[in-house]
Amino acid sequence: MLAMCFFPVSSGREVMENSASLQESSLAPSNGTLGNSSLSPSIVTDHMCASALPHVQYSHNPAFISQSSRDLASLPPLGASFSQSTASLIHTQGNKDVSWSLDRLQMFLDLPENTPAPNQLVESSTGVLASEDHNKKTNWQEWADDLINVVDPDWSKILDNTNVLNPRVEVPKPSGDISKQQPQFHQNQLVPHGEFSSHAYPSSTAPPTKPRMRWTPELHEAFLEAVNQLGGSERATPKGILKLMNVEGLTIYHVKSHLQKYRTARYMPETSEGTSEKRITSIEEMKSIDLKTSIGITEALRLQVEVQKQLHEQLEIQRNLQLRIEEQGRYLQMMFEKQKKVEDEKGGVPSSASDDLLAPLPGSKHPPCNNGKSDSEALEQDHSRTGIGPGNAGTNEDKSSSGVSTKQKMLETESTVHDESGFSVSKRARTEK
Amino acid sequence: MKFGKRLKQQIEESLPAWRDKFLSYKELKKLVRQISSAESCVEYGKADAEAEFVHLLNNEIDKFNVFFMEQEEDFIIRHKELQQRIKRVIETWGPNGTKPSEAEYKDEMAKIRKDIVNFHGEMVLLVNYSNINYTGLAKILKKYDKRTGGLLRLPFIQKVLQQPFFITDLVSKLVKECENTIDEVFPVEQEDEEEIVKEQREAITIAGKGIFRNTVAALLSMQEIRRGSSTYGHFSLPPMDLPDSDLIHSFQLNSPIPIV
Repeated sequence: MLAMCFFPVSSGREVMENSASLQESSLAPSNGTLGNSSLSPSIVTDHMCASALPHVQYSHNPAFISQSSRDLASLPPLGASFSQSTASLIHTQGNKDVSWSLDRLQMFLDLPENTPAPNQLVESSTGVLASEDHNKKTNWQEWADDLINVVDPDWSKILDNTNVLNPRVEVPKPSGDISKQQPQFHQNQLVPHGEFSSHAYPSSTAPPTKPRMRWTPELHEAFLEAVNQLGGSERATPKGILKLMNVEGLTIYHVKSHLQKYRTARYMPETSEGTSEKRITSIEEMKSIDLKTSIGITEALRLQVEVQKQLHEQLEIQRNLQLRIEEQGRYLQMMFEKQKKVEDEKGGVPSSASDDLLAPLPGSKHPPCNNGKSDSEALEQDHSRTGIGPGNAGTNEDKSSSGVSTKQKMLETESTVHDESGFSVSKRARTEK
Repeated sequence: MKFGKRLKQQIEESLPAWRDKFLSYKELKKLVRQISSAESCVEYGKADAEAEFVHLLNNEIDKFNVFFMEQEEDFIIRHKELQQRIKRVIETWGPNGTKPSEAEYKDEMAKIRKDIVNFHGEMVLLVNYSNINYTGLAKILKKYDKRTGGLLRLPFIQKVLQQPFFITDLVSKLVKECENTIDEVFPVEQEDEEEIVKEQREAITIAGKGIFRNTVAALLSMQEIRRGSSTYGHFSLPPMDLPDSDLIHSFQLNSPIPIV
């Protein structure tokens, strides 16, 4: 299921190569009005959209980069198409777009890293992409419709160049795909004057569909400055704020929704969100009851903070652990693949995937972390066991029926590894138990 | 059913507006079951099923991202506003202010303290939200691989790690800044330790519905989830080290719904 990665493009863009027909459907008419069809997603067809990349006016559409990176990312990460699209990317870019295309290329290049060679993995990542595009398709129509109704007269000119941006900015629309975030990262990175987040957002995960604005304190500061210059939250208009802020990639929709949030926050002096008021009241009631029993509100609050701090600390620890575990897993996966290649080249070993993966090299016994080896073996044990005995999956989801024995097997395997050099056969024997 | 139950409990105790934003763990689990039982059918069917599964996961992730970023944006705004508010109170009713008034000052400060502590709690709960959804995803992927013999987990989880909802750095930073502010607006503790502990126990009755309760629930859930299980493997998190575990457990005494 190859997915299109495309984005509707505004007028004046060069149509590239073969997906012309598709492209046309996504081109907006030149006078800035958006027909429904112009925004219909050029997605989810069997075409390889690789070569049909829109020519983008970089200066107006920094957000485009994110868009296109999303497009880029949604290209099938397979070898053939990769080179094809890469070629077309470089080939079709004009001057302005060079850096843009390089960005896209960057994004594109990132993807294959995450999707190592084996077919299964590719399949899954394609699956990821495909499903994302699926979503994209349905949403674009809605956005296009909304957009037409919402369009500001002043914006018609801008729409010539930026009509694609607008739908993306429909913040209230919740649906979208995993990839949606890409543009966001990118947007922030494009914000000039270091106003954007200092976070190091990774460049690409999966194709973005609907770029969402990720605000940062710095950006908010800029917003506040603009608002104050314009006479306060009541007087300031989104347009004015947008202009003053002068941030690339920021659109009026972003500003509008942010302004709304800001106004709400200002005029709820007790709490910034109406919803939390109720809750706070009940806490307060309980606290006032408690006052009679001697403890002060202050102390109660202190206690609350302590618990909250603890939770936060634990969450941070947990998160770091999770990151490390996956990092390890990734490393081991790579190791196994390398090992597999070596084994294949040796030629002797009968290759069921699990066998090869289970056959460790002396080198692989000493991965960077202590748990490394056991991690991989656990991983492979799981796979091989699943492959051989699907019935074992059983009814009990959270407990494998061989709960404790699983661990024992892993330990056995480890000792086998130590002892023997011709692993695969004995390993297979074990896992078949 | 342990994680599923924990998740459900946390959702129940969470702020109402959040309740439909969590991972649909149960539904996904059902789907995995369906897939694994039907997969003996056709190879083609399996690829489709996987695509469908992935599609749903992506929807979930999208849901998390949207919610998370909205909340994050709110937090940024409210964080700033709180600071402005404190400044205003000090400048107006503080000793060196324009209209110094101890009564007003105390009054306002009390409100601020309450608000800021709850704000802190809400932010921490968002981090918790992120974490528990991630954990759920990791688990469901593990189940999927186990049941269908697929190799979806590893690459997919790599993508998840890069999602906005998982990158909680900014919110954590705000939490820390909030803690600093809290230190500033709270009077210095003067009582000795034992007294404090006693008072803290008496504060148990305060743990009604709301942020505090949610926080306690979250902490304890985390501890439970990480306790060794039969599927404990090398990709699992080690048991949690929670120093005040007993104290926190005691907070549940008055809660109608037992957490553990």
